Amino acid sequence: MALIKNKQICSDGWPNLKTSATSAGRVIVSHDEWLKNKDELILSGKRLGLTLEADEKIDEFLHDIGKFSLIIINIASFADGRAYSLAKTLRFTHQFKGEIRAIGDVLPDQALYLTRVGFDALQLPDNKAAELTLQTLAGFSAFYQPN
Amino acid sequence: MYLYNDFDQTLVNERVEQFRNQTTRFLNGDLTEEQFRPLRLMNGLYIQTHAPMLRVNIPYGVLSSKQMRMFAHISTQYDKSYGHFTTRQNIQFNWPKLESVPDILADLASVQMHAIQSSGNCIRNITCDPLAGVCADELEDPRPYCEIIRQWSTLHPEFSYLPRKFKIAVSGSPKDRAATQVHDIGLHMRRDNNGNMGFEVLVGGGLGRTPIIGQTLSPFIFEKDVLSYLEAILRIYNRFGRRDNKYKARIKILVREIGLETFREQVEAEWHCIKGGELTLESKQIEHIKQRFQVLDYHTDSSDKVLTEHLSSDAKFKAWFEQNTLTHKQNGYRIAFISLKAPNQAPGDITDKQMNIVADLAEQYSFGLIRTTHDQNLALTDIKSDDLYSLWQQLQQHNLATANIGTITDMICCPGLDFCSLANASSIDIAQGITQRFTNTATEIGDISLKMSGCMNGCGHHSIGEIGILGVDKKGEQWYQLTLGGSDSHQSKLGDRLGKAIAKADVVDAIDNIVNVYKDNRHDGEVFSATLKRIGLDPYKERVYGSH
Repeated sequence: MALIKNKQICSDGWPNLKTSATSAGRVIVSHDEWLKNKDELILSGKRLGLTLEADEKIDEFLHDIGKFSLIIINIASFADGRAYSLAKTLRFTHQFKGEIRAIGDVLPDQALYLTRVGFDALQLPDNKAAELTLQTLAGFSAFYQPN
Repeated sequence: MYLYNDFDQTLVNERVEQFRNQTTRFLNGDLTEEQFRPLRLMNGLYIQTHAPMLRVNIPYGVLSSKQMRMFAHISTQYDKSYGHFTTRQNIQFNWPKLESVPDILADLASVQMHAIQSSGNCIRNITCDPLAGVCADELEDPRPYCEIIRQWSTLHPEFSYLPRKFKIAVSGSPKDRAATQVHDIGLHMRRDNNGNMGFEVLVGGGLGRTPIIGQTLSPFIFEKDVLSYLEAILRIYNRFGRRDNKYKARIKILVREIGLETFREQVEAEWHCIKGGELTLESKQIEHIKQRFQVLDYHTDSSDKVLTEHLSSDAKFKAWFEQNTLTHKQNGYRIAFISLKAPNQAPGDITDKQMNIVADLAEQYSFGLIRTTHDQNLALTDIKSDDLYSLWQQLQQHNLATANIGTITDMICCPGLDFCSLANASSIDIAQGITQRFTNTATEIGDISLKMSGCMNGCGHHSIGEIGILGVDKKGEQWYQLTLGGSDSHQSKLGDRLGKAIAKADVVDAIDNIVNVYKDNRHDGEVFSATLKRIGLDPYKERVYGSH
């Protein structure tokens, strides 16, 4: 796995979801876990990350959005564009200031679009894919849409 | 037409290099077919029955002589010396090699053209009235607004992986010549009681397997809000449109399943969050885009004197004039259609030589501008009346003066089984059979819109033809389903099924029978749809099926 954040390859300070490796002072929970253990998680004083599927209904946690430092959106298939609207909604409509990370079926050729809708972190399968992603991110200098 | 500045040019150049890189990686095996598919589709490249097919955008159907010459060059250099104009005002090349496509796109970019989003599950080319800017009944020229929407939708980061393709059409006249009611979104320019410009917004129209006429989502959206309103619609569609079945993934199905009211509530709630934000169009922005369109310098002293003389001396010219030209908003000018439905020619096809001739004639007579129509013809929209005769003489020399616009031989037709991997039945040979049968009688019969698709995906718009023909597969044989009474103008309507499908060999006779019922029953000056409405389907059924 390789992580790109703010257009650079960098190490990950968060627990690894695949290997279950922990990270001191940080915890990642699913939407269900958050709803179930909300009070306990807040009391723990840890920095909180939340995982979402691209089609998840977000109304239930929107008022808690400021409590998270990280929101991870899992892209089940690269052809499923719902993650783009979800990220855009979180970042621009609800003004989420923390990290929004794309994981799952993330292709280097989609990186530029992902970073333009609010994702600031992309998880790629390996360093080769991450290097290619950095190139594709630099591929355009002209955009019609406002940033 | 709209002229690129450095910014627009940079964007298309960067897109070419991006696709060159992607194509190289695919050919080297670094991208799978599945991963490459949406990337090539979003650059207009399909893999068809015989070869790739490249669809190139002609934004809202306007192109220059220089651009037409580039099409001719591409067809000579990379294809089989012809191109095919589509029902959405674009052009398709049927035989390019995959490895040549980046070079073709670079050639296109050199004349301010591209194939961005001409296919794929994204926002497609914006289409509009082919007579925009020259028709007398226009409220406002829709083309600058089409350009604004084109720019907003081009390489849109959020809406490039939609559930399915998304088509937008804009009309600036009360008479709808852009088929807006059968688009995912149809925009009608309107003025409110205070004279403010805006749009009536239709949603959920479409043809294909489930033809549906679009409904009004909002009766009036101010022009400054149109982009944020479109973004709200697209966001709701992107989030909630079905992705489990590609045949149920268009916005029309979402609107039908949740109901127009619920859909409207969702759009309004989303719009409430973004209205007045960064997508708001200031009047100076709109003015800026309008100024990027060249202004045509009409001669106000033009007269019809020479024209009148030729009309009385040359009956063949007169027939072409009456069938293929229309009134212009400017006195002393006419709109001339170039039919691409000559006998022995696939509807919409044009050779490289003909493309160059049209480019020359446009330069000589019509400000160097050419329009494409959604009936798969071309138009030179700004011809001085006194130049019409010499234009016609030159068109005639190149098989471009077929006087059949609007008649039964001016049919819309998809490429069918000959080229398309989706088709169930051929359409080009049926089209040729119909053309042969009616060539000498078409203008005498009067205007009839005949539209034909080789499968239920409906690229030939059969559902909205006054006569619709749909190719179907029955145990490996090609059969054809007929419908009557469809319409795509003003009040769109889907045609009614005539009866059971007809064998290929009997289709032309069946059409002949339908036309004869009309001829036998019509009152003086009565159009096809009016006779059908008055006498109903039964006489047509009896004539067609009684004889089999």
